[in-house]
Amino acid sequence: MSTDLNNGIAITIKNLVKKFDNIIAVNDLSFDVKEGEIFGLLGPNGAGKTTTIKILSGLLKPTSGTATVGGYDVNKDIQQVKKLIGVCPQHAAVYKFLTGRENIELFGNLHTMEKKELKSRIEYLLETANFTESSKRKVKGYSGGMLRQLNLLISLINNPRIAFLDEPTVGMDPRARRATWEFIGSLKEQNKTVILTTHYIEEAEALSDNVAIIDYGELIALGPPKVLMEKHNSKNLEEVFMKITGRRILEGI
Amino acid sequence: MELKRLIREPTNLFMMILFPAMLTLVFGLSFSSIESGIPGVSQFEVMAPGLFSYACIFIIMTVAQAFTDEREQGLLERINTTPTTSGEFMGSHLISNTIISVLQVIIVFALSVALGYRPQGGALGVLFAFIFIIFLSLCSVGLGLITATVAKSAGAATGISFIFILPQMFFGTFITITSTTRIIASFLPSFYVTDALTLIFNGASVISPKVLTDLLLISIIGAIIVGLGIFIYKRYSRA
Repeated sequence: MSTDLNNGIAITIKNLVKKFDNIIAVNDLSFDVKEGEIFGLLGPNGAGKTTTIKILSGLLKPTSGTATVGGYDVNKDIQQVKKLIGVCPQHAAVYKFLTGRENIELFGNLHTMEKKELKSRIEYLLETANFTESSKRKVKGYSGGMLRQLNLLISLINNPRIAFLDEPTVGMDPRARRATWEFIGSLKEQNKTVILTTHYIEEAEALSDNVAIIDYGELIALGPPKVLMEKHNSKNLEEVFMKITGRRILEGI
Repeated sequence: MELKRLIREPTNLFMMILFPAMLTLVFGLSFSSIESGIPGVSQFEVMAPGLFSYACIFIIMTVAQAFTDEREQGLLERINTTPTTSGEFMGSHLISNTIISVLQVIIVFALSVALGYRPQGGALGVLFAFIFIIFLSLCSVGLGLITATVAKSAGAATGISFIFILPQMFFGTFITITSTTRIIASFLPSFYVTDALTLIFNGASVISPKVLTDLLLISIIGAIIVGLGIFIYKRYSRA
């Protein structure tokens, strides 16, 4: 059992740095994510959101600094981390020649789930997301929105304690997006910890307990959306985002 | 899953099953009535062991395409976020593709027999022949991994895979080789397999020095190619 989860902290990032040759993608990033919260990770394109998620899920090694997920160091105990997490990548990574259900099942097997547990988890996810009928069809014929929905369901097949959702609603129509918001919101009720990156600021405002805004790999704002709005005298989070990221552009930072 | 990919993707189904089957049928119908120069032996019977090796070679392309495609689609990266290790994943690919390759040879073998090919060596000979086929299939999967490492897209993988397919096809299967091409052939896994299959199906003992030498060489080449394939794919591929 991880100590961080006992202390109510699911993720800890300390002085995290990631460099690609001369480019600094993540620059001295530090923050904590509490257990059971939805944590919005916001920032303009190329701000370092996806790089941070890739480090936390073991796909990239940090240049320096530390990160723990569920109390396990991502540098030392990545196999333990992988047992706790579910990752929804930015681009729908699915096998096109398989059906939706087969894709979910395959990733359940890759998570070494028991057959019985896997079957009931698939049924639960498909019913909750109203995806049972669609899941019977081959992915090749899916619309963009259906692909995104499947992408999200796959990331939750192992019933992860911590989910990384990298722009899960991009390309969805407003109705599908709203339904997905509800679905993501329901994860909070199940005490799941969710790190959500999105370009839809209203999505982060509606769903997140806390948000971190990063730019050029640096943390520039952290806190609950309401607190940030008050602090920056803004009527919504988008205005906060525009003010602080825009100011950095004007100041040439 | 690889079997589902084979059945559901028409290109794969054609390349892996229909193409070798059609080729065997065409060769059988064209050459089974032509004398080989050996009394009572048709040209098709001379070519048949080479056809079995030939059937194994095309999996290079399928494996290269599959791995490149999975990488392009972000699937390898996604799999890397699960507790399944890359070794386990590679191992499952290696086993499933080897099984598909052996299935191809079974189809070609059965068709050849239906077209009048009568191999000698009995059940033990056939069993030994398939041990050689397994080694050649493993080599092909390894070469597929090497191709996938170099290729930037599934389309490029198709083209690059022919660097490994063509020499093996021309110098190591059913095409008669000369003293010059024999030098090139000695570097190709398919040459040793075709040589061993020809010996076994012509009645040579499976423990004859020549067959055992071929077995030793193909197992060494196989281990090197598979090891190298896995190593460079894990080391240099942008998974």
